[in-house]
Amino acid sequence: MRKIAWIFLVALCLPLCGFAGQLESIKDVPIPQQNPQTPAKIELGKKLFFDRRLSGDGTMSCATCHDPQQGYSDGLEISLSYPTTRNWRNSPTLIGVAFQKYLFHDGRASSLEEQALFPMMSAFEMNQNLDFMEEEIRSVPEYVAEFAEVFGDPDVTRERIAMAIAAFERTLISRDAPLDRFLSGNKKGLSPEAVRGYKIFTGKGKCSECHFGVNLADDRFHALQVQENPEHLKDPRIAATRRFVAKVFHFEGYRTLAEDPGRYLITKDQKDWRAFKTPTLREIAGTAPYMHNGIYATLDEVIEFFNGGGGTGNAALKPLQLTPTEKGQLKVFLEEGLTGAPIRFIYPKIP
Amino acid sequence: MAAGPTVKQILQTYPGKIRLVIKNYPYKYRDFARVAAEASLAAKDQGKYWEMHDILIARSPKLDRVSLIAYAGELGLDVNKFSESIDSGKHAKEIDGDVQLAESIDLFNTPTFYINGRQVVGERPFDYFKKIIDEELHQPGR
Repeated sequence: MRKIAWIFLVALCLPLCGFAGQLESIKDVPIPQQNPQTPAKIELGKKLFFDRRLSGDGTMSCATCHDPQQGYSDGLEISLSYPTTRNWRNSPTLIGVAFQKYLFHDGRASSLEEQALFPMMSAFEMNQNLDFMEEEIRSVPEYVAEFAEVFGDPDVTRERIAMAIAAFERTLISRDAPLDRFLSGNKKGLSPEAVRGYKIFTGKGKCSECHFGVNLADDRFHALQVQENPEHLKDPRIAATRRFVAKVFHFEGYRTLAEDPGRYLITKDQKDWRAFKTPTLREIAGTAPYMHNGIYATLDEVIEFFNGGGGTGNAALKPLQLTPTEKGQLKVFLEEGLTGAPIRFIYPKIP
Repeated sequence: MAAGPTVKQILQTYPGKIRLVIKNYPYKYRDFARVAAEASLAAKDQGKYWEMHDILIARSPKLDRVSLIAYAGELGLDVNKFSESIDSGKHAKEIDGDVQLAESIDLFNTPTFYINGRQVVGERPFDYFKKIIDEELHQPGR
């Protein structure tokens, strides 16, 4: 009995992210029952993903910030934005989003179907009125025919638009990375240097405490106290965006908000202040810059941040004492080991 | 966004190796974007394109006609000539051509760059361009 009590106590004392999880090779993509994948739906979703009609002024599509040529991100510190405004966070890659429990850096959406409509409505992203968007899409006969084929009747609704886009996004999977071959039992799947990096990743580097599973992410939120970018803090357009989002999420002090509250905006739980979602590490070599605000341009900087124990005042990380050689090996693992076969892509013809 | 300082840094870093071609893409829902494009080209006619460009970025969104004429005065341009140019839409055809070109290649974001055909969307740090330019310069036959 005493032993059981001890185990229980130990479990209680474990930090949120205190044990290394198992890395997993790519497996079947989870498909929600309410939105089964069909080739026609995926194709429709792909067209909508690239269609600028989804933005208020016809200049932006989902692909503006999630560009296949940029690892389904946009390569910028903070994401591209609706003309004359500025975004406030980095555009996350869409590769592997099918495996994510939460979407957005603050996890405000819990399905791709729910997520897809946020940027369309957002004043600093696509700035579209969804009632109007439905009518714009309905005015295109080719789309109406495709909606009828995909959904059984020709009605065009925002929910169906989101379902089709989500179906397309679930096809964006990084496959056949050296790590997958290695985990499937091929000891030569990773180069010797990458194997050394893998050992640091799962051992001394403690990376796999949060980066595990098939997507190398724990679906949780951590306050690592990543520093704010001083240049962004000075930009009044970014201040407007920050305060707008805070206002939408009923944050009382939105008028004077001077930093990104992260997950706190959604939960109002003090432990989530400046906490952000653990990102996937698959295809990490092609999705710079890094962190929720793109503050680090290179993996070297990111490794240095973690090696130093994270940002000032954080309670989640401790210094790692990695040697320069170990840091190099870790980087080789991240770059080589997690880069899969190129994701084949053909641009759709927008009706 | 202001990519001007980065573009100038690129030109200084690669003297004689870069040919810069600027195309206008005045945002259609911005009141003064069009007249600001006219102003930059009117200033170019008098040899002060970059000076006007920089002042337009710095003073945006105060880009109404009266302000533009005041900027021309600040830069020591011939204000009458400048005013006549923007009022008559002297460069309208050129700007229209630029907009049509942009839309014909499905280009909607400013700034967008093409480096030997390689597309770069959005303002980027100097090193981002440097990497691409160095790769292009080291292509055989260049």
